[in-house]
Amino acid sequence: MGLGIDLNSLIFGYLAFAMVVSSVLAVFSKNPVHTVLLVLVMVVHQAFLLLTLGSEFLMAVQLIVYAGAVLVLFLFVVYLINLRKETKHSIFVKRFCLCSLVFLLFLGFMGVNLYLIYGAKKFEQAVLPFNPLEKDNLWWIAHYLFNYYLLPFEIIGVILLVAVLGAVFLVRKVKTTEEA
Amino acid sequence: MEDLWSNLFWFLAGTVILLIVSLLHVAYLTYAERKIIARMQQRLGPNRVGPRGLLQPIADMLKLLTKEDIIPAQVDKPVFYIAPFISLVCAGTGIALVPLWENFVISNINVGLLFILALSSLSAYGVILSGWASNSRYAFLGGLRASAQVISYEIAMSLALLSVVLMAGSLNLGDIVRAQINSPFKVYLIPQLIGFFVFIISAVAECNRTPFDLPEAETELVAGYFVEYSGMRFALFYLAEYFGMLVMSALAVTCFLGGWAGPFEVPYVPFFWFVVKVYALLFFYIWIRATLPRYRYDQLMDLGWKVLIPLGLINLFLTALIKLIF
Repeated sequence: MGLGIDLNSLIFGYLAFAMVVSSVLAVFSKNPVHTVLLVLVMVVHQAFLLLTLGSEFLMAVQLIVYAGAVLVLFLFVVYLINLRKETKHSIFVKRFCLCSLVFLLFLGFMGVNLYLIYGAKKFEQAVLPFNPLEKDNLWWIAHYLFNYYLLPFEIIGVILLVAVLGAVFLVRKVKTTEEA
Repeated sequence: MEDLWSNLFWFLAGTVILLIVSLLHVAYLTYAERKIIARMQQRLGPNRVGPRGLLQPIADMLKLLTKEDIIPAQVDKPVFYIAPFISLVCAGTGIALVPLWENFVISNINVGLLFILALSSLSAYGVILSGWASNSRYAFLGGLRASAQVISYEIAMSLALLSVVLMAGSLNLGDIVRAQINSPFKVYLIPQLIGFFVFIISAVAECNRTPFDLPEAETELVAGYFVEYSGMRFALFYLAEYFGMLVMSALAVTCFLGGWAGPFEVPYVPFFWFVVKVYALLFFYIWIRATLPRYRYDQLMDLGWKVLIPLGLINLFLTALIKLIF
């Protein structure tokens, strides 16, 4: 590139910054609908981060599943909350100092751990067992999912089926003898 | 470097031209709708502005642009401002992924079909958020209805499109059309008749058009989710609805009716067949609006969950079976 700036790191920087900012705002926002919207902003940026990593399939799935389905259902739930009462709560809990101390402790712990694991080593280019440019992204996902990880995939399918059946069982109408 | 800039230039030029052409289509779609419905109801329709009322959409646009932009006092302002734009962008972006003729598509990505599905699921946000932010009972009910409707019918639509993907073996819209041209029937309409049926009905429901226009049912909800909007913001919702129709028709043409291919080649007009098929589908949309009364809400849900989704699943199963045998 003749632009003098590394375009890739510029885009990554923007995406990472936007994700962090929207997540922090989502935590601090009082209005639950605004929180869901900020999480939506975060999810969309995450999808484009996946796109810059060259996995367009995961981007589309991220948009369909998280942005298109999960967050819409969140909005549904939020509609059932009493908003007027909810927005009057203080965003800070009573033992604020103690909580922030615990938070800082955890942060330090995490930093030390990360340093111990990654700090000493220099990052190396990951070596893949195949050439990713040979076929497109979708092909590789299907190839590995259905050839090497078929059993876990099917187990997940069965678990989801159980969840669906459970939901249907919970909402079914029980006919009592008086009604009939 | 030279290549990059010229590529970028052609990409931008193509985008701008496509945007202008589709916006004009959307504007004249409203005119066509009024004229056709008028003819079906033995009225004249718009005939004052310009010859045969041809300038009516432009007059409408000018009127809406110059109208006052009213913001009610108790609305959630940022959400209220942003909702119409979410609606329009999500409805309109899909057209960039549709191949208009051989080798002409603005954005040729491998997961084109999935991306269009993602956009159509995101367009639910515009409706839900405008309904909530308006702080009005009519708008809120409209928003709730719309979200339930869009989520339900999206499943049926995805199932119908999955059978097409299974037959074509690709998620790229251009490849789907090429696979159709090489298939024995030339179009997927014949082997995928059930899928086409499911897709068209779900597409009408996705666009909130009659007979599934419950989110904006005038007799019950005044105008539904955009009842508090005025001026240009109201017009954006209107544009989004008609843009949605255009994109859904283009998607149906690409996935079921053979895209740009036709019985014979028309010289110098490579998009001839594509446009003819899209116009036929748009006429179909308008036709059913003039013909059918509105569904009741429980009927709508029954149709979606008890008829279309099982039909879509059966179709997917049959397609997989046929693919396995042949």
